Amino acid sequence: MDTVSLPNDPHPIGCQCFIIPADVLERFAGDRKLTAEQRKGFADAARFEKEWRKQRIAQIKHIHEAQSILPTNLTAAGPAAAPPAILVDDCGHGNTLPGTPVSHPEKSSDATAKRAFDETTAVARFYRTVFGRNSVNNAGMTLLSSIHYSVKYNNAFWNGSQMTYGDGDGNILIDFTKGNDVIGHELTHGVTQYTARLAYANQAGGLNESISDVFGSMFRQWQADQDVTQADWLIGKDIMGPGAIARGFTCLRDMANPAAKHCMAPQPTMFSQYHDGMDPHYSSGIPNSAFYKAAMAVGGKCWMKLGKIWYQALTGFAPRPNMKMSVFANRTRSLAASMFPAEPSVKTAIDHAWTAVGL
Amino acid sequence: MHGPQWVYRNVTMALLQIERIGGLAGFGGANAHVRSLGQLETDTLSPEHQRAVEDLFKPTGKSKDARICDGFRYRISRTRSGKTETIEAPEERVPVALTQCVKDEFV
Repeated sequence: MDTVSLPNDPHPIGCQCFIIPADVLERFAGDRKLTAEQRKGFADAARFEKEWRKQRIAQIKHIHEAQSILPTNLTAAGPAAAPPAILVDDCGHGNTLPGTPVSHPEKSSDATAKRAFDETTAVARFYRTVFGRNSVNNAGMTLLSSIHYSVKYNNAFWNGSQMTYGDGDGNILIDFTKGNDVIGHELTHGVTQYTARLAYANQAGGLNESISDVFGSMFRQWQADQDVTQADWLIGKDIMGPGAIARGFTCLRDMANPAAKHCMAPQPTMFSQYHDGMDPHYSSGIPNSAFYKAAMAVGGKCWMKLGKIWYQALTGFAPRPNMKMSVFANRTRSLAASMFPAEPSVKTAIDHAWTAVGL
Repeated sequence: MHGPQWVYRNVTMALLQIERIGGLAGFGGANAHVRSLGQLETDTLSPEHQRAVEDLFKPTGKSKDARICDGFRYRISRTRSGKTETIEAPEERVPVALTQCVKDEFV
């Protein structure tokens, strides 16, 4: 099993062996082909795996507690610290996370592994370059992606500590790592988790999803160096399967026209259509539409002004898990005035955009 | 479609109708063009999965499930002895036998 061969293993025996499943650790602990020292290392790792998992949960809780005390954006390490480590694990079509570590994913012959590594690295660079943020927690947190999750799995998700990507069923959707906006979307859930801590239901849930779409699309535009008129504003364009394309679906969602027929899941565009209990992927159409309208009015590259305002509205305040959409809208209005005092047209554009969607 | 009029050999047997909802693509939403449905009888499940299904339907008060961002959820209806109960659960709590019987289809 190459992925656990000791000399080249990027996650050697020690504190990181936890990412090898316990049964594999136990098997290697009894493998006579390994040296006694290596076997002992695997045995120790297997023994401490459960304990380590408990510690990781406690560590995440500790970070949350620390961030509830510190002002937002202030962490022990901050952006000056080293960039985050990027790891890729392979689930091998199983349902157990995180899977088996991929050695040197940046050079992997598995295109999915290489893409997960390259695009996650690029998203980390995007956040660092544009917003001065060091990883999702602004403290250099390791970014772990699990690929080839389950069988024909039509989804990608952020589970609170890592990203997970399915290969798609090959008809409706394809390999989720093919969407750079998808990878940006999932990592942004991590940023939201460590900043505004938006809930995942009702208005906060819609905002949470919208922020992931906004920064996912923004990352896609930044990577292609596109201005707002060149951008496609589509979410999931690159993961549409042949069956979906044949039926005229070009995306999951369209920020420029959330209700369009070419969306696999058309969304509401007006706050008057909102009611509690909506799926966040549905209600996110309202703030998505506002961002698009404001971006088109401001013009240029959306991460230069609007992105900075949205980022500050997300990260520059104390956590507010049950935030209403109107609160976020008003934050962006105020921030536009304070961050771009010499350009009142920015505030006007944002104000008109939110008003146009009923907020 | 089988219904509650079924006569079961054993009162503990039931028909489960399962819908996968949510996920990054927003399956099963109000205007979504993909629906994900499946059904199975509980007596086809392993004892372990039967117990997991029983646990899903146990009253637990207010749900404490942490929402995984973009995670799938499952709406599961159980029809037993002519009575139907419906619950929603996150994917990580649903036995694989149930999740794998669901097929995604365009509507």
